[in-house]
Amino acid sequence: MGRKLLLDKAHIEGIRYYDTYRSNGGYAAAEKALKTMGPDAVLEEVKKSGLRGRGGAGFPTGLKWSFIAKPEGVPRYLVCNADESEPGTFKDRYLMEFIPHLLIEGLIISSFTLGANSAYIYIRGEYAWIPDILEQAIAEAKNKGWLGKNILGTGFDLEIYVQRGAGAYICGEETALIESLEGKRGNPRIKPPFPAVKGLWQCPTVVNNVETLAAVVPIINIGGDEYIKYGTGKSTGTKLISACGNINKPGVYEIEMNISVEEFIYSDEYCGGIKNNKRLKACIPGGSSVPVLPANLLLKTAKGETRMMTYESLADGGFATGSMLGSGGFIVMDEDQCIVRNTLTFARFYHHESCGQCSPCREGTGWMEKVLKNIEYGKGKMSDIDLLWDIQRKIEGNTICPLGDAAAWPVAAAIRHFRDEFEWHVAHPQEALTRNFGLAHYADPLPAPVAAV
Amino acid sequence: MAEEKKLFKVKIDNISVEVEPGTTILNAARQIGGEIVPPAMCYYSKLQGSGGKCRTCLVKVSKGSDADPRPMPKLVASCRTTVMDGMEVSNITSPEVLEARKGVVEFLLLNHPLDCPVCDQAGECHLQDLSYEHGADSTRYEFKRRTFDKVDLGDKIKLHMTRCILCYRCVYTADQLTEKREHGILGRGDASEISTYISQSLDNDFIGNVIDVCPVGALTDQTFRFKNRVWFLKPVDAHRDCENPKCCGKTVLWMRGNEVFRVTARKDKYGEVEAFICDTCRFDKKDVKDWIIEGPRKIERNSVISQGHYVNTVKPKDALVEVLDGRQPKLLFDIHSESQVNRPDIDLSKIHGPAHSDDFKK
Repeated sequence: MGRKLLLDKAHIEGIRYYDTYRSNGGYAAAEKALKTMGPDAVLEEVKKSGLRGRGGAGFPTGLKWSFIAKPEGVPRYLVCNADESEPGTFKDRYLMEFIPHLLIEGLIISSFTLGANSAYIYIRGEYAWIPDILEQAIAEAKNKGWLGKNILGTGFDLEIYVQRGAGAYICGEETALIESLEGKRGNPRIKPPFPAVKGLWQCPTVVNNVETLAAVVPIINIGGDEYIKYGTGKSTGTKLISACGNINKPGVYEIEMNISVEEFIYSDEYCGGIKNNKRLKACIPGGSSVPVLPANLLLKTAKGETRMMTYESLADGGFATGSMLGSGGFIVMDEDQCIVRNTLTFARFYHHESCGQCSPCREGTGWMEKVLKNIEYGKGKMSDIDLLWDIQRKIEGNTICPLGDAAAWPVAAAIRHFRDEFEWHVAHPQEALTRNFGLAHYADPLPAPVAAV
Repeated sequence: MAEEKKLFKVKIDNISVEVEPGTTILNAARQIGGEIVPPAMCYYSKLQGSGGKCRTCLVKVSKGSDADPRPMPKLVASCRTTVMDGMEVSNITSPEVLEARKGVVEFLLLNHPLDCPVCDQAGECHLQDLSYEHGADSTRYEFKRRTFDKVDLGDKIKLHMTRCILCYRCVYTADQLTEKREHGILGRGDASEISTYISQSLDNDFIGNVIDVCPVGALTDQTFRFKNRVWFLKPVDAHRDCENPKCCGKTVLWMRGNEVFRVTARKDKYGEVEAFICDTCRFDKKDVKDWIIEGPRKIERNSVISQGHYVNTVKPKDALVEVLDGRQPKLLFDIHSESQVNRPDIDLSKIHGPAHSDDFKK
């Protein structure tokens, strides 16, 4: 059994409510941080822990916190990004639904560290029932003196507000989220200035993912030095992975970042293998925006090493032969899945969710979707594959926010690794309508790596 | 403590320039001028917060600054990136930038109707210039283009959303120039559109300026629509004492003969107005007597408008008198009075079909 830090008490009945949470050691970290540690010590502890942002980019949280500008007389804000909209990612939902107090506690500690007196939880509109859970938890915490004025007699004030989004993926981008929180159209801002300098209402703001904030609690409880003993290398601690697709046991798993991808997919503790004893064809390890990998590259890196569930190992080989841990939306595809169709689904999603502010993303996403639709429905040409490649190349890196990149990467990776399947679709338009390409050679062992000269 | 203002040294395409801190790369390039100025479709120096959206002004920062010489990882929008001391930028010297720009132009033209032959903006359209300079000669897009219905925003402004490239300039104009913003963006992605919600008319003293800031033919002047091609008109600088205190009254009249076809603000070589004008000047003063004419407006040589050759035109001299030693030519026969068909009382345009000799019977 892997060790757990976040979900270790998730199975306890009634952990959603304050009394159960408190009697199981909850709010001990907040007490410790506020009463005995002080902001600088907490920041030091988080830095020491090597905690990395769990929202997708994996930026070190302690470093992010230390960037926040601290001008006199200007309020600072902490915003919790709960706009979890990435297809395949549903880990934050689990946290907020079952252990909302963990998030509240994390928010208290983090706000205290940053000196923020207001914290906002921006939650996606589709999670319609979760704001009620959170607000109930906030009310409970407030009743017990964990929120409000002069918390625990330390003179620190904090209010937490829950704000619902209106159903836009783009509002998960931190500056678009801030715009939306201010009541405007959710268009990403042009950076710089970064939110750490000018964020919410032009004040210094830190935007963190739900899981990141929750992970602060165990860090304070056990200490940063203990926390880095979990995981491997720079991927410290545990990570929530929301596994879905053709696996026997889809769900949210907390993994210590020291297991291999193969173990994660096949062990009974986690995904429990591929459904109906089929073979693994491909996997998207970090949510829809990260590159898809064929089975052979997923389990072993191009260098022939075993691929681990860590930030570094999944990114090994760059985008040529690697992927990203991303937000932990682990999508597994078996031999009967069609990569072209899957790519089309993602392209449609990004086309639908593009905010339309900058031209490459606004026009390019729709174009990719149309070209992919042609290929999928037997109207494609061979030149369309190169065209797709060219379109994604011209979107990537040329947009205001990372949505352009997120739209380009799945298409790029699909063509890079599954070009034969695209070509088969074009060459056999009629057959492609009735059957799938199948596993082909995608699980074959990789050629032995050539020794570096 | 009066600190001496330190100027930042920037190199753009290997040309050095010293600019004040806080200047954007685009404006630094404009101080140098010439070919190395990145094109800008959405940035407008007079409008706060504009820019960064169209991505045509992307440049490569090959050296961040003297203090931190690392290059920037991605191409940056030069209109919104401020310079640092010692920054080195490549624009036209970077194949990567030219490639990306070509891509952006392709994206911008993807859903553009390319109806230039019937578009009022033709001849002064930034998208036309941009695609001429940076675009490909044909499209790779094989799908139906996005279309919208034309909308009248009041009786003076026509919105033709199909042509729009969503630069947001008009939104900023309305936001910052007029007292009450009445329009904005609806929808998202490639379905977003400029709209007033339920086609409400735009009614404000300065709203006409959205026509001037529109880089394409999406917002056009209803009082000028389809009246003339801009390159047949003669632009002259003119001014009047405008009653509106916020209006500068300095305009360009677009004339043919003595007829004023339209009035616009004065635009510089980047297509940006020097100062905004009010709607009275723009829409209601279409008589040459309302204006004090200053003289012909200088137009960039590469503009199609300058093809009219209206500056320093010399009327052809009648050489006949000179040849006849100063004598006036003698009229031998006035064909107009002798002709049977010269009947001014018969209006040819009222005759049904081609004129026939029967029509001229007395």
